Amino acid sequence: MQEALAASFENVTKVFSRGLFGRGGVVALRDVSLSILSGEVFGLVGLNRSGKTILVKTLLSICRPTSGRIGRLGRDWRDRSTLARVGYVHESQAFPPYLTAARLLQYYGALSRQPASRIRRRGKELLERVGLADRSREAIGRFSKGMLQRLALAQSLVNDPELLVLDEPSEGMDLAARRLFHDVIRQRKKQGRSAILVSHDLSDIERLCDRVAVLRGGTVAFVGSVAQLKNEFGADQSSPAGDSSFEEALEPFYAGARH
Amino acid sequence: MTTVIWLIRDTFRQSLASGVFWILLAVTLMATALCLSMRVEATSSPTAAGPDALVVGHRITNDAAQSRQLDQEDAAGHLTVAYGAIRIPLARDVRNTVKFLELILAGGVADTLGVLLTLVWTAGFLPGFLDRRSVSVLLAKPAPRWMLLAGKYAGVLAFVLFHAMLFVGLTWLAIGSRTGIWDAAYLYSIPLLLLHFSVFFSVSLLLAVLTRSTVVCVFGTIVFWFIAWGMNYGRHVLAIQAQVAPSGRFSVAMNAVVDVGYWVLPKPADFGMILYDSLGAKNFFGSAFDMTALAAHGFSLWLSVLTSLAFAAYMLFASAQRFSTIDY
Repeated sequence: MQEALAASFENVTKVFSRGLFGRGGVVALRDVSLSILSGEVFGLVGLNRSGKTILVKTLLSICRPTSGRIGRLGRDWRDRSTLARVGYVHESQAFPPYLTAARLLQYYGALSRQPASRIRRRGKELLERVGLADRSREAIGRFSKGMLQRLALAQSLVNDPELLVLDEPSEGMDLAARRLFHDVIRQRKKQGRSAILVSHDLSDIERLCDRVAVLRGGTVAFVGSVAQLKNEFGADQSSPAGDSSFEEALEPFYAGARH
Repeated sequence: MTTVIWLIRDTFRQSLASGVFWILLAVTLMATALCLSMRVEATSSPTAAGPDALVVGHRITNDAAQSRQLDQEDAAGHLTVAYGAIRIPLARDVRNTVKFLELILAGGVADTLGVLLTLVWTAGFLPGFLDRRSVSVLLAKPAPRWMLLAGKYAGVLAFVLFHAMLFVGLTWLAIGSRTGIWDAAYLYSIPLLLLHFSVFFSVSLLLAVLTRSTVVCVFGTIVFWFIAWGMNYGRHVLAIQAQVAPSGRFSVAMNAVVDVGYWVLPKPADFGMILYDSLGAKNFFGSAFDMTALAAHGFSLWLSVLTSLAFAAYMLFASAQRFSTIDY
C-alpha cells in the first residue's frame, strides 16, 4: 500500500452474522475494490443499504472486514495510529449532551492525540469558522440539528486531518452552513487533503467530488468522474457531458438495469 | 494516559449531568449532618455485660415498668440524635459507641446499601457511553478499544472513590469532632468499599458491552450480587455445620457445588467480614461466623480478596475481548 493512496480496498467483503450461532449472514459488502488518491475528494453514492456507510466504517476500523485488505494513509486498517490523521463525521452522531462545544473539541482533540495548547487554539478557530463561537460555553444538549452538524464538522477538523470522512454531513444544514461546508472541502482540496463524501445529496457530490463510486447491493457498480458517469449512463448520451442530469445518470443503477 | 484522564473527567461530567453526583453528595451530607447532631453521654466504662454486650439489660423481670427501670439503671449513658430530640440509652462507653456508629455507617450504610445503590445509579454510565451513535466517533480515534473501555471503568471507579472518601472522611470528622475519638481504623473502609464496588461493577461492564442496556445492567448486577452473597454466606453456613455435625444433612455433591461456586464467584459477605475485622468490631460485637471453624475449611481473607479480584480481572478481560470485536 503506497502513501499516495489515502485509502484502498482490495476485495473487501463484509458479512454480518445473524440468527442462532451466527449461521445466517447478511452480506453488506461483496468483493469491493477501490482506491482513493491523496488529495482527491471522492464521493460514495447509492441507495439505502447499498453499503456506503459500512464501507467507510471498515476504513475507520469501526467495523471489521470479513475478508480482503484495507489500507488507510498507507498502512493496514489494523494500525490505529493512522486514525490520528483522520477526521470523521458520523451520519447521525450523538455527542455527550452535557459537554459544551468548546469542551467537546478539547475532549475529542485529546483523543486524537493532539497537544492541549494546539487543541485550545484550533478549537477556538474552528468554532469561529463554523459560526458557533458565541455558543461555545453552552451545553450541546440545547443545540439544534443544524448546529450539531456544524459542530460535527468542527470536531472532524480538530486534528487537521489528512483524510476527512464525511457521512451525510449536510443533512439538516441551512444554506449558510452548506456553503461553509463546501468552502471547507474546497480549501482542504487546495491544500492537497483528501476527503471521502457519502451523501444522498447529489448536488454536493457533483460540486465537490473528483471521482465517485456508485454502490449497489454491497458491490461497486461504477467508479469514475461525474462527467464520465453522465456520458456513459445519462439519458442523452449523444450530447456533451453535463447536459443530462446526475440523477438521470444514476437511474440505471438504482433501477437495477445495469451492473 | 491522556485518553484515560479525559475519560475519567468525562465520567465526572456525566455524573454531574445525570444527577448521580448530587444524589451521592446529598447522602453524604445527610449522614454527616446526622453525625454532627449526635452526642454521646456516657461514663468512661461499660456497666452491663462487658464489652461484648449487645443488649442493654441483663436482669430478668416480668414487670414491664420494672424492666424499663432496670434498663435505665444498666445503661452507662445515652446517645442523643438530632440535637437531643431522640435519646437512646446505652450499655457502652464512648469508645464502644463510636465503634458501633462507625460499623453502622461503613458496614450498613456504605458497604451494603451504598454499594448496591451506587451500582444501580452508575449502571447507566456505560450503556450511555457505548451507544452506537456516540461511540462510533470515539472508535474512529487512535486509542485502542480496550483503552476506551478501561478508561471509562477507571472513570467510574475514580468517581466512586471520590464519594467514598467524602462519605467516610466527612462522617469521620463529624464523629471525631462530636466525641473526641478519632478512630483511624474507620478510614480503612475507603479502599474496602472501592474493592467491593469494583468487583461488581466489572459485571455491569460486561453486561453493558454485551447488551448496551441500562435495565439489563441494573438488574443483572443486583441479581448477581445476591447470588454471589447467597453462595458466599451459604458456603460458610455449610462449613460451620460440617464442623458442628460432621455427618451433615447435605450431600458431598452439594457441598462440592457450593464450594466451587464460592471460589469462582466474588464474595460480598467476606468483604463485609473484612470491613468488620478492619474496624476491630469483633472486639466489641462478636463475630457472625466462627473464624476458626471457617479457617479449618480453607477460609482465608486474603484468598477471598484475591479470588474476587481474579473474577473481576476475568470480567474486564472478557469485556475488552468482546468490545474489540463488535461492529458498530
